[in-house]
Amino acid sequence: MTSPKERLRFEEVVKEHAGDLYRYAFWLVRDRHQAEDVVQEALLRGWRAFPRLRDRAAVKTWLFAIVRNEFYRRIAKDVPYAASVDVAELDIADERPGLFGLEMREALMALPVSYSEPLALQVLGGFSCAEIAAMLETTEGAVMTRLTRARQTLRRLIAPGAAKERRGGRS
Amino acid sequence: MNCLEYRRALLAGAGETEAMRAHRSQCAACSALFDEHAAFEGDLRRALEVPIPAGFEERLANAGAATDRARAAPSVDRRRVLAAAVAAAAAVGVGLYAWRERNDPLALACIEFVMKDEAKSIMMGATPRAEAARVLADSLPLERLERIGQIRHIAPCPFNGGTAYHVVLAVPQDKVTLLIMPDARLEVRERALHDGLYASVIPLRNGSVGIVASNRAVVDSIAGALRSG
Repeated sequence: MTSPKERLRFEEVVKEHAGDLYRYAFWLVRDRHQAEDVVQEALLRGWRAFPRLRDRAAVKTWLFAIVRNEFYRRIAKDVPYAASVDVAELDIADERPGLFGLEMREALMALPVSYSEPLALQVLGGFSCAEIAAMLETTEGAVMTRLTRARQTLRRLIAPGAAKERRGGRS
Repeated sequence: MNCLEYRRALLAGAGETEAMRAHRSQCAACSALFDEHAAFEGDLRRALEVPIPAGFEERLANAGAATDRARAAPSVDRRRVLAAAVAAAAAVGVGLYAWRERNDPLALACIEFVMKDEAKSIMMGATPRAEAARVLADSLPLERLERIGQIRHIAPCPFNGGTAYHVVLAVPQDKVTLLIMPDARLEVRERALHDGLYASVIPLRNGSVGIVASNRAVVDSIAGALRSG
């Protein structure tokens, strides 16, 4: 069982990072209820493992890592991936709005997780490219490439008049 | 440092170094870009900072305390739990090993497409659903994809010396890229793991389809669903 002192320390750490952990989870799952579940479950696991955590200076990295692990643990369990969407809504007309001229948050929603995850880790978590690379088990160069492409894609998606230009270019 | 290096570093968002500052102080164009980029980063941060649900921190603290109390109570058979955990870890290990051992060319090309050409393909615009459904009817009917997730984009694109249909499929856990190749016959399944992305190419009745996502379980799940559908 966690000692009262450890419990207090863990609560302090969680309180300090809860907001950013929730937001990070949100940009992984894109759903506020699921994000809360992911963080809650991850921190329950963290609560149990906290007394054994040796490098207390790396606690923030550790917290983000357990949230990430919980997200992927859930993916592995949740098969098949039947989306809760109405098939009648799936109108893929060539003039369908949605991918162009979006607000920033909508544009972020359109990014694949492979782009939005390092972005959230960098902007919300304040992690360096090297730290993100270690967390994502990839190279620093690959992280920089993803971050650059994420920002380029966002810029394109939110650019005013992008849809108009696109239509003009194709006609 | 030149302008190209400065802009690349700026877009990666890692913060301005001394060398970058020195370049910016002497380059009006990069200085203007820096100002514009700062505004963009502000918008980006505000957009990422979604509101925290009311009472969230309190619920976390309560859940932790409840777990501690539960752990103090008589426990379940820990040996069985440990055995299950070891078995699960072994299964994950075997799965990862299988991916890392394979880096097949067509699957690798699918990952390269996602990294280099996907954004451009989306910018070129989507194809009307009816037209895509007609072209793909004999290889991968769209209704099968729509049972798995929401099609966010579909359009033909040049790929691997031929034409593929590029599909962005939104499933609850990720965005998945599919490259449907009606003319590419495949005898055995291909796999690749590169740059943090997983790809699997599976044969269809006519042609084949490449599936790319940042998570192995998502790729495996969709490959299984398309094979059995």
